This record gives sequence, structure tokens and C-alpha cells, in this order.
Amino acid sequence: MMFLINPNKFNKAADFLIKPILVLSIILFSLGLLFSFYLSPEDYQQGSTVRIMYVHVPSAWLALLTYAIMTLYSIAALAFRIPFGFIINTAVAPIGGIFTLICIISGSFWGKPMWGTWWVWDARLTSVAILFIIYLVIIFMNLSFENRVVREKVVAIFVLVGSINLPIVKFSVDWWNTLHQPATISKLSKPNIDPSMMIPLIIMTFAFAMIGLVIAILRIKTEIISRKSNLG
Amino acid sequence: MILVKDLSIERSNKTIFNNVNLSLGSGNIILLKGKNGSGKTTLLKTIVNIIDPSSGSIYWKGKPLKKNLYDFYNHTTYIADKTSSLSKLTVQDNIKIWKKIFLSKINNSQIESILKTLKLDNYLNQKVSSLSFGETKKLEFLRLIIEDKKIWILDEPLSSLDDESIDIIGQTFQDHRSKEGSIIFSSHQNSDIGVTEEIRL
Amino acid sequence: MKFLNKIVSFYYREYKLNLSGLQDILTNIIFFFISIFIFIFSIGPDRETISLIGVGILWTLLLLSSTLSLRKFYQDDFENGNLLITHLNGFSFGFIAILKTFSHFLFVQIPFLLSIPIACILLNIVNDKLIYLFISFSIGSLILSCLGSISSSMNLMNQRNFLLGSVIVMIFSIPVIIFSVGIINMEENFNSLINILFGILLIVFAINPWASGLCLKLSLENN
Repeated sequence: MMFLINPNKFNKAADFLIKPILVLSIILFSLGLLFSFYLSPEDYQQGSTVRIMYVHVPSAWLALLTYAIMTLYSIAALAFRIPFGFIINTAVAPIGGIFTLICIISGSFWGKPMWGTWWVWDARLTSVAILFIIYLVIIFMNLSFENRVVREKVVAIFVLVGSINLPIVKFSVDWWNTLHQPATISKLSKPNIDPSMMIPLIIMTFAFAMIGLVIAILRIKTEIISRKSNLG
Repeated sequence: MILVKDLSIERSNKTIFNNVNLSLGSGNIILLKGKNGSGKTTLLKTIVNIIDPSSGSIYWKGKPLKKNLYDFYNHTTYIADKTSSLSKLTVQDNIKIWKKIFLSKINNSQIESILKTLKLDNYLNQKVSSLSFGETKKLEFLRLIIEDKKIWILDEPLSSLDDESIDIIGQTFQDHRSKEGSIIFSSHQNSDIGVTEEIRL
Repeated sequence: MKFLNKIVSFYYREYKLNLSGLQDILTNIIFFFISIFIFIFSIGPDRETISLIGVGILWTLLLLSSTLSLRKFYQDDFENGNLLITHLNGFSFGFIAILKTFSHFLFVQIPFLLSIPIACILLNIVNDKLIYLFISFSIGSLILSCLGSISSSMNLMNQRNFLLGSVIVMIFSIPVIIFSVGIINMEENFNSLINILFGILLIVFAINPWASGLCLKLSLENN
């Protein structure tokens, strides 16, 4: 598991893994599209708009997952002095930002026919919007500091402080009475979603994760190279 | 009292200096010489524990510096290449603030005589922003007297000063030496202040 | 005893410094009042509407005007080397952050607190709400001071994009705004909301010395 914290070992593992992951992501994504558009039933209430869920939910999960990964690596980088964590932070932030943006946009496409409005000031929506702003601030911080050593540590501190938002996003549907529906899939109880919808959802989640992973590997590799040659 | 052993500093993959050894006993005056960018300021900042060295160690009274940092700070005056006086306030106010901050026991007549030798006594009620750069720099040296510490760490104290002021400072250095104090300062110009040891970077 | 004396003289210095920069603080307050006027001009002088959204306006403007003064928070001390001198004088960076936070609260936020009654008259907020506003603002402004300390210490080395500091403060002040505006509109829930606000204060108060101290050390190290 050393390749998760050591740049050189990561490079080797990435060279070995990137092609299978790329192929896997293409297969999963086309399979997922096939399932979500043709092989899954329409909802009896929502009609065809239910298919937006297959983009919305995976991107939301991955936006949160990306931030959680950044938080873990920030702790590792600051507390255990593992500089690889800083590399992950700079490389992964835009990916998480894009996932959040996809989540927000697809959500409002769903909200227009269902709730009759593009945007509601609801706890879940607002906290995700804040998550998006936090991602943007991280990206801007990466752009605006001139000194690299200061920049990466400050970004890591900001990621840690901003991670307060994560549980708020996750539990906002339980803590407050919101318009957004509560989680249908959780570990504690049996999922109350039909398997015919569950399968495309899971396939799409893995497809999204794999696509994100491919981009992340490429970005991390460029980041490692630019650090070695002292460009960034 | 200060012992620097095999100190090397590396910043963003660039070595600034390698294996510097230095020992500062009481009554010593050490001059750090070097060109611009040779790491004089970095070395001084490392000695006051602002920058962490990449390798090597610093000892204070035989113990690692980090272990009794605040005891070290209690005996040290550090003057950076910037002037720390508050430019919006008058010279007198600045002196008053310094006396309070450093819990100084120096009495006013002593300060007045020093101001006279530094030729700052006419500016007492003027704002610091109206002084020239050399004069603010001289005002900064007043902190050495007010703080009244054993060890002086000075970054480029002689730059942008006239010969007369340099003589006064040399005199002050000798006075401090005779009181068993020790000084470490950096400079890029030659001067005949009674330096006991010279280190090239 | 020596330590206590040093703290007192630290505040003496801050007092002198703020007294000489009194026009900055006054400009902040003028900004605050001008913004109230502009809000009223843009909404229209209807008394009912104004008193309905007055508290929200007040909080937004207090947040905005206290972010204006963030630039002064550490920047001056950092640039003229006083931060380093204070550290060498025996204060750890975390402790400097705490001292500075209280100084910001005393010299920047308290003047706002004093100008609140006048603003309340302008915004037609009834008198019995004033006490709630006072309590919530005194807790909330301390939270804002802590957040300001964190964000301005993060931004010490950022020469290109200073506004980022204000954005950081605003992001983290969202829960403060939510709960402190809630206090005034829900008087029966006063106790529980003030407890939440107090909890937020304790959290940021615990994070502040750690985060700010780390950032201050980092900036001095790489300056």
C-alpha cells in the first residue's frame, strides 16, 4: 500500500494501472448509459426524469468522497509530514469541483419538472452549493499563492477547516425537514429502491469513480513531474 | 553559549548553505560575510528558530534549542533588516511602547543621552514616518539598549548608515563585549568594528 | 507576573496603534451606515418591510464591514517585523493569534456594537428585540474575529488575490448568520439557539490558535 503515500511508487503503480482503469471506465460508462436509458423502468410518479438520478447521485457521492479523501490526505500531510498529501490536494480539487457542479446542475434539471423551480433554499442544496464554493476557493488558493511551501500548507489547513461542511451535507436531510428526499441507500437499513434501478445506479457510480480516477492519476502524475522540475 | 553544528539548509530543492559551524561564547563578536543571496539572513533566522534546518542542530547552553526556546528568547535581541518602529506614532511614543513591551528598567536620562549621541533628540515629538531611512534604522538600535539582553543578533546593521553612526555602533558593540555580552551580525561591506571571528558564507 | 505585564503592554501597544488609525475604524462605521442607506433606497421606505428584514440587513452589513478591516489584522505587523518581535518576546504564535483576536474584537467590533442602537432606529427594529440583537452580535462578532484571524493569517503570503480572505470568512460565517438571525425571529427558542451559537464560538475559538499559529509561522518562515 506504499504507493498511496510515496510519489515514486505511485508513479510505478499508476503506469501499471492506468490502462486497465481506462478500459474499465469506458466499459462501465457505456454499460451504465445503456442500463440507465434503455434497461431501467420509468418511475410511475416521476416518469423519465428519474433517469437524471443516475448522473445526480453518483456525482454527489463522488463529490463528497473526493473531499473526504482530500481531508484524509491533509491530515496525513500536516500531521505525519507526508508531502504526497499536498500533491493529492492540488491535483484532486478541480475533479471534486466538477463533480459538485455536475451534481448541482443535474439536480436543478430534475427540480424544474418535479418541484417546479430550478433552485430551492433547502439545507441539502445550500450545503452542496457551499461545498462547491469551498472547492472553488481551494482552486483559487492554488492559483494565487506564489510560494509553493506556503501554498500547499495553507490549502491543507483550509481543507481541514472546511471539512466541517461534510457532515452537514451528509446529514442535512436527517437533521432538518427538507424538501430534498432523505437517503434511500444506506448501510444501516435495507435499501428501499428497486433492484432494476439499483443496478444502473451502482454501475454508473463505479463508472464515474473510474473516470475520476483516470483524470486524478493523470493530474497527480503531472503534479509530481512539475514538482520535481520545480515548476509549480 | 550558542553552538551551531553542521547546519545545512535546503529550500525548494535548492541548497542555500552547507555544513555551517559556529560557536558564540560570551564576549564574542561574530561577523557573517557573504554576497547577496548567500544565506546570511536565512542563517540568522534559523538561529532564532524561525526556519527549521534541513539537517544539523543548534544548541543553547548545551541543550537543543527547541527544548528551551523561550529561555533563549529571554536572552536575545533580534533586529531584522526591516524597521519595526510604528511609523504612525512619534519617536517618543515608540520608545514608550518598547519600554513597556520589553519590561525595561532603563531610566529616561539614559535613553536621552543615547538619543543625543545618535542625534535623534530633536525628533522626539516627530512622527517616525517623517524620519529618513538612516534615522529610523538608528532608532531601531535603541531597542538593543532598551531590551538589555545578553545576545544580540543583528541582520545588516551597518547598511545605509554614515561613517559617524557606524563608529557609534562599533563603540556600543565594544561596550557590550566588555559586559560579557555577545553579538552575531551580518554584513556585506568591510568595516573595522572589533570583530573576533569572521564566517564566510 | 512578568507574563501578565507583557500581555498588558501588548494591549497598550494595540491601543496606541488603533488610536493613531482611528479614521480607519470610523471609515468602517461610515461604510456600515452608508450601506444601510443604500439598502433602504433600493428596497423603498416602507416601514413594515424594513422592520421585517432589518435584522438580516444589519447582520449582512456587519459581516461585510468587519471583513473590510481584515487587511489590517496581521499584515502591518507582519511587514514591519513586529510579529517576529512579539514572538521573540515570549509569546507562541498560537497565543499571539488569541491576543490579536481579542484586540480585533475590542478595537474594531466594539465600535460596531456601540453603533447598533442607532442603526436599529434607522431600520425600525423594535426596542425589545434590541437586547437579543446585542447578545447575538456580541457572540457573533467574537466568532467573526476568530474567523478573520484564521483567514487573514492564511492570506499573509498571498499577494495576488486579497479578496480570497474575505470569501473565506464569509463561507465560514454562514452558520453564524443562520443562527444569530434565528435568535431574533424566534424568541421562544432563544435558549437553544444561543447555545448553538455559543457552541460555534467554542469550536472556532479552539481552531483559531492552531490554524492561525501554523499559518503565521509558515509565512514568517518563507518570507
